[in-house]
This record gives sequence, C-alpha cells and structure tokens, in this order.
Amino acid sequence: MGVDDVPLDDKAKRMRDLLSSFYSPDPAMSSSNSSKFASLDAINTTSFDADQYMNLLVQKSNLEGLLQKHVEMAAEIKNLDTDLQMLVYENYNKFISATDTIKRMKNNIVGMEANMEQLLEKIMSVQSRSDGVNTSLFEKREHIEKLHRTRNLLRKVQFIYDLPARLGKCIKSEAYADAVRFYTGAMPIFKAYGDSSFQDCKRASEEAMATIIKNLQGKLFSDTESIQARAEAAVLLKQLDFPVDSLKAKLFEKLEQLLQDLQLKREEVTNFLEDSNDTSKTTSTIDASVHEFAEAIKAYRVIFPDSEKQLIKLSQDLITKHFEITEQNIKEQISVAKFLGFLRVIWRDVLLMDEVLNEAFLPDYSLEAAQRVVKQYVAITFSHLLHDISDALIVNIHMKQKEGVEENPLQVALETSKNAVLKGSMDVLVDLRHLVDDNLGLLLKLRDSIVDWIQEGFQEFFRALDDHFLLLSGRNKSVSQAQGLTEGKVVDKVLAGLVLVLAQLSVFIEQTAVPKITEEIATSFSGSGVRGYENGPAFVPGEICRIFRSAGEKFLHHYITMRTQRVSVLLKKRFKAPNWVKHKEPREVHMFVDLLLQELETIGSEVKQVLSQGVLRKHRRSESNGSTASSRSNPLRDDKMSRTNTQRARSQLLETHLAKLFKQKVEIFTKTEFTQESVVTTIVKLCLKSLQEFVRLQTFNRSGFQQIQLDIQFLRAPLKETVEDEAAIDFLLDEVIVGTSERCLDPIPLEPPILDKLIQAKLAKKREQSAISL
Amino acid sequence: MQGASSGVGYGLKYQARCISDVKADTDHTSFITGTLSLREENEVHLIRLSSGGTELICEGLFSHPNEIWDLSSCPFDQRIFSTVFSTGESYGAAVWQIPELYGQLNSPQLEKIASLDAHSGKINCILWWPSGRNDKLISIDEENLFLWSLDCSKKAAQVQSKESAGMLHYLSGGAWDPHDVNAVAATCESSVQFWDLRTMNKTNSIDCTHVRNVDYDTKKKHILVTAEDESGIHVWDLRMPKVPIKELPGHAHWTWAISCNPEYDGLILSGGTDSTVNLWLASTSTGDGMTSESLVESPTQLVDPLLNSYSDYEDSVYGLAWSSREPWIFASLSYDGRVRHFKHLS
Repeated sequence: MGVDDVPLDDKAKRMRDLLSSFYSPDPAMSSSNSSKFASLDAINTTSFDADQYMNLLVQKSNLEGLLQKHVEMAAEIKNLDTDLQMLVYENYNKFISATDTIKRMKNNIVGMEANMEQLLEKIMSVQSRSDGVNTSLFEKREHIEKLHRTRNLLRKVQFIYDLPARLGKCIKSEAYADAVRFYTGAMPIFKAYGDSSFQDCKRASEEAMATIIKNLQGKLFSDTESIQARAEAAVLLKQLDFPVDSLKAKLFEKLEQLLQDLQLKREEVTNFLEDSNDTSKTTSTIDASVHEFAEAIKAYRVIFPDSEKQLIKLSQDLITKHFEITEQNIKEQISVAKFLGFLRVIWRDVLLMDEVLNEAFLPDYSLEAAQRVVKQYVAITFSHLLHDISDALIVNIHMKQKEGVEENPLQVALETSKNAVLKGSMDVLVDLRHLVDDNLGLLLKLRDSIVDWIQEGFQEFFRALDDHFLLLSGRNKSVSQAQGLTEGKVVDKVLAGLVLVLAQLSVFIEQTAVPKITEEIATSFSGSGVRGYENGPAFVPGEICRIFRSAGEKFLHHYITMRTQRVSVLLKKRFKAPNWVKHKEPREVHMFVDLLLQELETIGSEVKQVLSQGVLRKHRRSESNGSTASSRSNPLRDDKMSRTNTQRARSQLLETHLAKLFKQKVEIFTKTEFTQESVVTTIVKLCLKSLQEFVRLQTFNRSGFQQIQLDIQFLRAPLKETVEDEAAIDFLLDEVIVGTSERCLDPIPLEPPILDKLIQAKLAKKREQSAISL
Repeated sequence: MQGASSGVGYGLKYQARCISDVKADTDHTSFITGTLSLREENEVHLIRLSSGGTELICEGLFSHPNEIWDLSSCPFDQRIFSTVFSTGESYGAAVWQIPELYGQLNSPQLEKIASLDAHSGKINCILWWPSGRNDKLISIDEENLFLWSLDCSKKAAQVQSKESAGMLHYLSGGAWDPHDVNAVAATCESSVQFWDLRTMNKTNSIDCTHVRNVDYDTKKKHILVTAEDESGIHVWDLRMPKVPIKELPGHAHWTWAISCNPEYDGLILSGGTDSTVNLWLASTSTGDGMTSESLVESPTQLVDPLLNSYSDYEDSVYGLAWSSREPWIFASLSYDGRVRHFKHLS
C-alpha cells in the first residue's frame, strides 16, 4: 500500500492548497492556470470546465483508462467529502471553547468596582492631612526667610563699612589683587547708594583705591620689579578701568628712547670704528645695549600682550636704521671685511630680536634689506672700479702730458689702465668672494643671489666701461653734449693718443681680461643662482668680448680718422692758400712737407708706445676690405711694380700715363690691424689719398705742377721707410703726380737733375737744423 | 639684388665730375653729364636708358667751351640745363639750351640762354627751383649767394638779390629745400648754413666740418643729409641742429656725394673717393628715440644700415643721380668718365 500512500499525501496537500486558495484567491494563479485548461491537471484550477475535461478525458483515454479514472475520481470525491466534514467539526469545536471563555470573564469582573472605591477613599484622606501640615507650618517658614534676607543685607552693609579698613590692610600687605577684587565687588553698591547712605564710606574707599592705583603704576614703571609683577599690575589697572593705553604709550616712548640711545651709541661706535679697528670693545658695548633693548621688548610684550604690531614696527625700525647706517658707510668705499662686520652685527641683533619677537619675521625683513644693501655694495664696488680705471687713463694722459715729465705718457697710461682693469677686477672678485664664502646666516641665504649680482655686476660693469670709453673718446657727440652739463669734467678736446690707448685697452680687455675674469668667475662664482637655466648665466663673456672687439676697432678707426683729419686740415691750408695758376718756379721743397712728416712722426711715436710691432711683410690679399680692391695683382708683380715705380718717378709724364693704362690697380683701403705698421700705413695711405683729392680740385700752371712734383718726390723716401706696404704708397704718390699733371695747364715736369739737386738741398738743410738743435 | 649688380655702363671720353637727372623728360629715363678736361674739347652728353633697360644710348653729344665743374638739368624743360665751368684761371656759369634740331646736325652747338656773370670768385654750383616751372635760380660761389630770375624767352638772367656769406666762410655747395622754397642750405668750411631767400639772411646753422655735399630728404620735412670728408654721413633733423639723429659710417676715404631717393624714404646713396657707391637705408621715422640708441650702438641697431656697396669703379665717384622717373634707378659717375646705371630692386 506504499504505492497508495504517496497519492494520498498528494491528495491531502492538494486539498490544503485548495482550501487556502479559497480563502485567499490569487488572481495570478488563476490566470496562470486558466491558460492550460486543456490538460487533465486543470481539475484543480478555479476555471475548471467539467464538460471540457470530460471531452478531453474521453478523447485521450481508452475504456480501461476511463474506468480506472472513474474509480480514482470516485475515491477522491469521497475523500474530499470526509475532509470537508472534519473541517466543519474542528471549526465548531473552536467556536464552543470561545463561548466558554467569554462566559468565564463575565463572572470574574463583578468584584472589581468595590476595590476601586476603597482606594479612592484612602487617597482622599492622605491629601487632607498633608494640607493640614502645610497650613500649620507656613507662618514659621515665612518668618525664617525674612530673617535670612535681613542677615544677608546686614552682612553686605558690614562689608562696605569695613571696605576702607580692609583696603588699607591690603595696601599694607601689598595684596593689591584682593583689594581690587573687593573694590570691584563693592562698586555696584557704591554706584547705587554712593551719594546717600554710604557717602563717607565710598570716599574713604576711593581714597584707598587711589593709593592702590598709584602704587600699581609705580610698580608698572619700576624696572626692578619682576616682569610677572608688572604684568599683574597692568592687568589690575585694566580691571580698575584705568586708562591703560596712556600708560602703554608712555612705556612705548620709553622703549623708543632706548632705541634712540642705542642708535646714538652705534653711531658713535661706527665713528670709533672708522678711527681704529678695535672691534672687540665696540661690539661688546653694542651687544649690551641690544640685549637691554631685547629685554625691554620682551617685558613690554608680556605686560601688554596685544602690542605686537607696534613692537614689530619698532624692531623693524631698528633693523632699517642699521641698514641705513650701513648704506651710508658703503658710499664711502669700505672694505669687504668692514662690510661683513656690519652685516654680522646686524645679523646678531636680528637673531636676538627674533628670539624675543618671533612674529616680526625679522630675519625675513632683514633679508630683504640685506639684499638691497649687498646689491648696492656690489654695484658700488663696480662703480669704484670703473672710476679707478678712468682715473688711471685720464690722470696719466692729461696730467702727465701737461707736466711733460713722462717720456712715454701713453705707454704709462696703457700699462696702468691695463693693470687697473685686470688687477682691479681680480681684487673685486677676491673681495666679493668673501661675501660668498662667509658663513653668516644672512649671507648664506643670499648666496645664490649674490653670485648672480656679481655676474650681473661684471656684465654691467663692462657695458658701462664701454660707454665710458666712448665718452672719453668723444666719439658719441650727443652723449657728451647731453652729459656735458652734468659732468663738467668731460674733456673738451679729446687727445688722439687717448683714443689709441682706448683701442689697445679694448683689445686687452677682450683678449686677456675677460677670459681671466671668466675663469675666475667660473671657479668661485659658479652655481646656477636664482636666475635659472633658461636665462643662462648673467655674465656673458662672449657678448662682452664682442662689444670690446667692435669697440677696439671703432677706437682704432676713430684714432685714424682723428689723425687723418688733422693732416687733412694741413693739406687743405696748403692747397687753399696759393694761387696755383700763378705759382712761381719751385725753389725748394715746401714747408708743408716738414709739417706732414712731423705729424706722421708724432703718430709714429704714439703708435709705438701703445701698439705692438707687427710681423714685417707685404700686405696680404685676403685682408682686403674690398672697398676699392680689384685684387688682380699678385705679390710677385707687386715687387716688380715697386721697382718700376721708382724708376718711373723720374721718367717722363707720358710714360706715367701709359703705365697707368696697363698698371693693375693697387689695393689702397685694406683692413687695419693692431700693429704699429698697419696703423701708420693706413694713415699714410689715407693722407695721400686726401692729397690726391685736393690736387684734383685745383688747376696748376707748370710751376705749380713742378712744385708738387718736387714735394712728392721728397716725401717718397721718408714715407716708404715708415710703412709696410711700399707698393701702395708708390702707387698713391704717383697718383698724386698724375692727378696734378691732369689738372695742369702746361704739364712739363722738372728735369731729374734739378729735382735731385733741390731734394739734396732740402736734406742738407734738414741735417743742418738737426745738428743745431742737437 | 640681381639687378643691382648688373649695371649698365657708358664711357665718356674724358674725366668727369657731374651728372644730373633730366627731370623734365617724362618719357624716358635720361641723364645729362659733362666732361672735365683742362686741355681737350669738353663735351656734354645726353644719355638715355633704352626701353629694355639694358643699354645706355647717347642721345646727344654737344661740345662745351670749357671744363664743367657743375651741371644741373632744368626741372621743367628737358632741353635746358646749367653748367659751372672753368677756363683754368677763371670761372663762369651759364644756362644752356639744347638746339631744337640737334638730331639732324652733325656737330650741334649749344645755345647759351643766359650767362650768370655776376660772380668774381670760384663758382661752386647752380641750384634750380626744386620742382615745377619757376624762373628762380641760385648760384653759389665761395663768398656769395645769388638769386637769379631767368627769362628763357628773352634769353636773359637778372640778379634778383645777392648776399655775401663773408670772406672766410668759403661756401662750397648747397641744396634747395624742396619743402620750403624759401630755404636754401649752403655748405661752408665749418658748418651748414641756412638762408632765407626772402630776406637773404642766415637763419640757422649746423656745426659740422668738411661737408662735401648736402641733400634734403625729398619725402620728409626737416631732414637733411650731409656727406663729410672723414666722418661719413650724418642725418640731421633741422629742428634739433645740435646733434645728428643718425650717423652712417660712410666710406673708407671721403664721402663725396650724397643723394636721397626721391620716392623711398630713408634710402640714401653715397659716393666716395674710395671708388665705391654705397646704398644706405637710414630710417628716420623713429625720430628722437633713435638719437640715443644709434650712438650707444644698442642691439636693436645691429641691423646694418648698409644695403649694398657697389665697388666696381676704377676711380673716385663724384657724381650721383637718382632717376626721378624710375626712382629705383640711379646713375653714378666716376672720375675716369664712366657712367653706370644701376637698378636697385628692393
């Protein structure tokens, strides 16, 4: 029957489900079931259709199946009936038991009402009794309260009457804090009744308070009292509504006074420092006074806690004054050691003050100031250097030339100024190195900046030097004119020699000084500094070199221009004065030749003093400026030409003309170098070219032409001695003669014998003169 | 700059100093030049640039009685020009007219319109009224300044006024201000003097020595350029005559001639005795600001003002002239009598 058991259980479960679904019909379930009514299981759903089910069953099953189904179904129906019956029974049972319970409850409730009434009665009696007690005690309590109030009042009155005496006692024992507490306690009463009942009392206590205030003030100002006591006194005074601010101001004045004293002392000390270098003693006195000041500030701060602002200002003033004094001193060119001394003192003071007054950020503040001062110091150092150099130049050239003592003023000037530049710069570097190497806290922080400033300083210095050179050379007219009013010492007439010295000095700076300084800077002042890499280092030797190279060339050019200008004036006078068309027959070599040679001699001596001797050689083609050069000649031909040139000088004019047709052009304007020969050659060339141009502007008669021919012939020998490029000189001299012949109405040259005779006569005369002068 | 290097050449028979642009010829680019030969027959050449610009054609060749020291073309009539000439002993100045039918004649003679014969000393130059038709002429000798009134039809010239600059000044040349027709700049030994033609008084002067040549900027008022022997070229603003507003290095030797371009502002041509012609660009537009900068040689000044240097000459260059018709063309004349035309294409 095990087989039967399982469907039976199934049945029971289905039954229960059905029942429960009956009580709580689920629409979802019904809908889901309705969808599959076509199956046999649909029998359990709500939407069961008996006919359909029957049809389905009949269609699907055979007879045996149907019979079985019938039996099955009949059993199920029977079962369902019994289940239903049992359910009804159970329900009925429960209903009966509920009825029983209700009946029992009804019986139990009957006795409760009587108990409640009893309880009410008892509570009522308790209440009435407590009321009785209350009324009997009320009178007594009121009385006691009244008595208590009176007693309090009496005690207060007693206190006020006792106040003067008590204050007196407090004054005696210096218990000012108690006194102030008492007095402030009594204040409201005095305020209310002070004018009537407690008049005497109030007066007496006020008097006592006055003494207390006085005592407190005294205590506040006395330096002997401890800071704590003074602070207390200040607090008490504040509690008494005493005007503390005025006190504060007074005390502050005292501080300022102290500061001024300190300043005075310091100034004395610096003066003293100027006189003797005994620093140990002076620093100790300064130390003491600074300590004192720091202590005072500390006290003040404790006494008036809200006074930082003023104090900060005060201490900053102190630092500022320090730096001002230092700045003043800097202007008088103090040594690095002294400058460092100043900074050290300042820094120590700053540290002292910083301990006391941390909020003032004095280190930062002083750092700023120090930055300024150090920068200024560096700048001033460089300006002194500049001054020294210009002195070296001017003094040596102007003064000594006036005195006429020195043999070679230019050489001396060059050497001293070279020295001034190199040694001065080195000294500056060494000095400033102290600044960088010093381990003073103040400077350590500024180290990178200092390195930058020094580099910048050098850069600026060399720029300024260049400008100054320009000014000295008088080349930039406008600047000298603009500054002429302010700088009265600008020399009106610039000496050509000075310009030459400047030229050589520029070369020296470019080639020697700058590399050395660069090296020195690289070794001791490297470090990227604050500027950062993108800006590069502040000192750019390449730029300086470039500036001075161009300056050197410019000065050299300027020197040549100045010299040739003088010669031009000479030549101009020579050619303006006579009437060349009516010139008389030449008797001797003209004076101007002497003047010209003299001028060249001066140039030669100047050049010799300043410039180095170049390698003797014929000039090279590659140096040609390209201005007039058609470099078609070669050195070999040059030599040949110079030989033919000398011969040609004595030859007839036609030959010269013909020769000119075939002659190669000689380079006249070549690049000038920094050698004696090159400079002299350039000047001679320019002068001869000028001579040619002057000649071209005139018209000559035969005698005039012959005079020029004579003069030029005389010039030929001495000029060739002085220059390195003989060919060019020959060419130019020939050009002058050719130019003259072209401008001559009747160009018949002098016969060579006569020419020789006249020249010999001149030479003899010259020898005679030199013999006399010797 | 290709055009610059490919100059067109033309040779005169003798040496020459002066060349002038024929302003009045509006159809062709032509120049007029005259030779300087003491002992030979001197000539005046009228040169025209061929339409292709590849050739210089001699348009007319006229004999001139004496060597020519100065020559300038009349601004309103292309057939009229003036010369200053010298016989060797004495100087003369005259206004000439090219004969009408010179193409058909074999050796045409110049017609002398007027002789400016009031001078006694060495005559330096003749200045025509800067532009347009006017009968005024100025001639400058070493001591005096003459203002002439020229009557072409009557073939006569009369002295309108005359002023002496003083014995020791030695006037050497001058320029007529194109912006103010009453002002003339005259160069003398130590300064440039400015004359007012109405009163014939000296109004102003710039101190600078050895001025060879002077020219007004045709485009900008108050701007004057001077060429000096040794110290190169200076640009002046006449309102600030103390200091030049610009300095150009000039030439290796003297700077002899200077000429401002008639169209392009700041384009200056200079000829020197170092046988070169230099073309400069000296912008004066920045005015005052440049004054200090140019002298300190600040980095901004590093731009080389020298645009080009023409060095293909055999001798000193004394004559320069911009063409007013084609202002990118100039003619230069070196002492050996070679005329060169250049096109500056910028």
